[in-house]
Amino acid sequence: MSSIEEIVREFKGADRQEMIELLIDYSEGLPEIPRRFAELADRDLNKVHECETPVFIWVELEDGKVNIFADVPEPFPTVRGLVSILVSAFDGLSPEEIESAPTDFISRLGLAQQLGIRRVRGLSAVYARIKGEVRKHGTVT
Amino acid sequence: MADYANPDVLVSTDWVEEHIDDPDIVIVESDEDILLYEIGHIRNSVKFDWQTELQDQLVRDYVSRENFETLLSEKGVSNDHAVVFYGDRSNWWACYAFWTFKVLGHEKCRIMDGGRQKWAEEGREFVKDVPERPKTDYKVSAIDESIRAFRNEVMEHMASPRPLVDVRSPKEYSGELLHMEAYPQEGALRGGHIPGAVNVPWATAANEDGTFRSADELVDIYEKGQGLSKDQDVIAYCRIGERSSHTWFVLTYLLGFENVKNYDGSWTEWGNLVRAPIER
Repeated sequence: MSSIEEIVREFKGADRQEMIELLIDYSEGLPEIPRRFAELADRDLNKVHECETPVFIWVELEDGKVNIFADVPEPFPTVRGLVSILVSAFDGLSPEEIESAPTDFISRLGLAQQLGIRRVRGLSAVYARIKGEVRKHGTVT
Repeated sequence: MADYANPDVLVSTDWVEEHIDDPDIVIVESDEDILLYEIGHIRNSVKFDWQTELQDQLVRDYVSRENFETLLSEKGVSNDHAVVFYGDRSNWWACYAFWTFKVLGHEKCRIMDGGRQKWAEEGREFVKDVPERPKTDYKVSAIDESIRAFRNEVMEHMASPRPLVDVRSPKEYSGELLHMEAYPQEGALRGGHIPGAVNVPWATAANEDGTFRSADELVDIYEKGQGLSKDQDVIAYCRIGERSSHTWFVLTYLLGFENVKNYDGSWTEWGNLVRAPIER
């Protein structure tokens, strides 16, 4: 897990080719989902419907920390990389930390300028989904 | 079985593999996903990015004549090269690049049927090496805007009325979906479709393996199914003009329609235009 500030530093000032390399690393680094989720993904459950690409998100609360699991099929490495950034930024934080995370986090990465605005458009939907799920779970415990 | 109207414009994966080292062609990968080329591509292929290279970065338009000349010269494409496009998502973005090259007057353009998906499914080789191509001195001979429709023309076309094909999903066509929150950068203020437009989602023209449907099936879909005919002037549109370039390709080259235009302003322009008529 990297902190939000570390990720922002990593991306800051990267040119297009460097950003592509960074995203490939993130895409390859997205942890595999536990077996118990794989079947749900097959049934299209937990899909983020705002995304054109199939994106699956699970949020669990354990000992006051949020565990985030995500899956994006490999033929879509850009979206996989973007989702992996979010997982890396938020997995293991407390619900309060996620709730108070800076809302401009995504725009500060500078992805839209280098990769084109349309490629990044779905990311805020995934971000909103994670925050929404955390809120839901927060009230349960 | 009927053949495509212009079969020469399509090449097979077999053909591409045989011609990988052919000096008369340049293989071009054009994807929605900006990482795919780096992860692996057909040997000797060159990457073109539709968003950061084929579009102007300031004005909503395609790359200028001068920038296109520079781009192609640097990538080692000459005026005489036959450019073979392939890409992800049933060649959706390959067709978009094909259409843009045509607007900018490139003569010899082809599509590899089935695109990246078919190449991968057939277990063919992907490499990471980027080819070193000698620079060229590319010159745009003439811009061809006869295949591009602007809003005033669409307005007249609608009023005539002549056929419009909306290639978005049924929910976008009906106005049910706008995706305002998730797609703030691409939002349209109003949902629905241009009055009189028929709805044929672009992917209807593609098989599961990413190849184009047969000529007979395409005739069934567009001519028998929607009552379109080859001698009519047709305008296709979607949200930003990319999905409709796939349909433009199908109607023009596979079915042989004489006058098809792509309205690249599409719904992100029409759905925001003050007083533009809308149907739901």
